Amino acid sequence: MSNYMSILGAVGIAGIAVAITGCAGSVEPPTSQMRAAESSVQQAVSSDARNFEPVLLNQAQNKLADAEELIDDEMSEENYQRALHLLEQASVDAQLAGARAETAKARQAVEEINRNIESLRQRMNGSQ
Amino acid sequence: MNNRYMILSMVVGFSVFLAGCASTPKDNQMVDEAKAAYEDIRTDPDVARSGDRQLRSARDQLARAERLLEEGASTAEIEHAAYLANRHAEIAREQAERAKLQQQINSAEERRKELELQARSAQAQAAQQEAAELRRQMEAMQAEQTDRGMVLTLGDVLFDLNRAELKPAGETTVGRLADFMAEYENRRVRVEGYTDSTGAESYNQQLSERRAEAVREALMDRGINRARIEVQGFGEQYPVATNETSAGRQQNRRVEIVISDADGNIKER
Repeated sequence: MSNYMSILGAVGIAGIAVAITGCAGSVEPPTSQMRAAESSVQQAVSSDARNFEPVLLNQAQNKLADAEELIDDEMSEENYQRALHLLEQASVDAQLAGARAETAKARQAVEEINRNIESLRQRMNGSQ
Repeated sequence: MNNRYMILSMVVGFSVFLAGCASTPKDNQMVDEAKAAYEDIRTDPDVARSGDRQLRSARDQLARAERLLEEGASTAEIEHAAYLANRHAEIAREQAERAKLQQQINSAEERRKELELQARSAQAQAAQQEAAELRRQMEAMQAEQTDRGMVLTLGDVLFDLNRAELKPAGETTVGRLADFMAEYENRRVRVEGYTDSTGAESYNQQLSERRAEAVREALMDRGINRARIEVQGFGEQYPVATNETSAGRQQNRRVEIVISDADGNIKER
């Protein structure tokens, strides 16, 4: 009988362990996600997102800062999980800000070249 | 006996597992949105070409969100995956848009270069024509190329002796010069008067100035702006022939018109 109980107890603990790992994921500090988020923000900045997508870039930077605070604050499982989410979101936010900035720049470039072409054409027609 | 324990314990473990996570209904708006965003671009050839990596990330995160939803994971977990899926889809779309714009830039750039080339050759042709026309007109006015530029000489015969009024023949030459200046708006002229050495030097100086001035007025009468015409009298200076013979003196009595370069610069004497 005691044998039965101890097996039951062990299995119960195993179940709880599965529950924890099943919901919470990695316990390791999200160092690589931190680096990825930082480099995404940097790339967005060098794509001129500060000019073209300031709100989204700001959002990414805030998430990054919040994650850093969580990691520095307390090494709890819950904090790490939240930090991980924040970092992953900061990364995609920054990437989107950078991508939108690149698109906006390309759009400007198209307009500028078309203006050049138009004025060239006018000049040529004028001189004929 | 052992088998029963095993089954029982698995049931207990799994129920703890489910109870630990399950708290969401099997429908989530963010997942639906992510799915719509993904479906929207899934078959877009531009996205396939230029945003493939992000498209695949969107697909993977969407699948994860749906799996979490199915498994009854926490809303935070599900919506996080949905958020990522949505963002990846948006990034993929931006990348596709950007690539399309880049293609437009490239073809427009090519067109611009082509046009520039055309413009340049048209310009070169126009410049060539202008130069040829200029030469022709200079020849018509009998201008001479000197180291000061093109110089047009109005001989003594265009003025009466000791007079500063242009004779009709002089008017014709000045008329041609005025036409020329009207056409080449950047050209300027300097009208220089010269005399022979007969008579008082100060008288000759004045006569040379008056004759040069007469030419300026004739040009202005034909609509040439005063600012484009410099006037200078040199009196007896710079004879082109001997003052010992009457033929030489006649050559020395003259008005020279120096024509500027295309930018309006005239070399000083």
